[in-house]
Amino acid sequence: MMPRLKPNNTVIVSSVPFLFSEPRVDDIVLFKNSDKIMVKRISKILNGKYYVRGDNKVDSKNIEPISKREILGKVVITL
Amino acid sequence: MNPFSYILSLIPLETAYAHCDIPCGIYDPTPAQIAAHTVIRMTNLIDELKASGSEPSFDERKKIIHRISRLTKVKEEHAELVKEEIRIIWGDYFKEENLKDYPDLHKLVFKIMKLSSRVKQEVDPEDALELLSAVQEFAEIFYKSKGPEIVRVPSGYPTGGEIVSHK
Repeated sequence: MMPRLKPNNTVIVSSVPFLFSEPRVDDIVLFKNSDKIMVKRISKILNGKYYVRGDNKVDSKNIEPISKREILGKVVITL
Repeated sequence: MNPFSYILSLIPLETAYAHCDIPCGIYDPTPAQIAAHTVIRMTNLIDELKASGSEPSFDERKKIIHRISRLTKVKEEHAELVKEEIRIIWGDYFKEENLKDYPDLHKLVFKIMKLSSRVKQEVDPEDALELLSAVQEFAEIFYKSKGPEIVRVPSGYPTGGEIVSHK
């Protein structure tokens, strides 16, 4: 997620924004992927599925689109 | 420790990852080429097997069957290895933007997958050579996308031919 997020950054994540509105393209979201909690940016929304990718296109791996219930929250503050 | 850091240290923090695995960035089409050379070698060895006469003894048949089994096993494994190695580079290294420069990439990968299956099913040296040629074409695209000058070096294997590499 470089340069927006760097290793060891602390972020504050909230699920509240998604109680009132749907996740949108460009939102940075936290979600569960297998047993890991991951942070990525929503790049596309298609048929109710959210496509996520990292900002660092060189290193970013493509992962399967996720559903809304897998999204834990939105990054609201980066410390 | 400043007060803010102290407050943060009291909050139980969870780690979030930006990558689903270790982003090592190490990709190399050489193992796929070695596997394709191995497929050629195994195909040739099977193809060259001859019985001493039209009615070989039971012992000789046993030995031939045993040898074919071993050669076929290695041929199968290395054809699968070609698929795996190419799939990893195709799926993990190449990005959508590469397709602008290499629009036939998907078609080439599909061809490699099909050829890998065909060399498993058949014992045809021409198919095996075609597989190597397609894998080398893939290797050239890979190196072009990274930038270094491409070189073809003699393989040094019993199969002859070359390995596509870079300076």
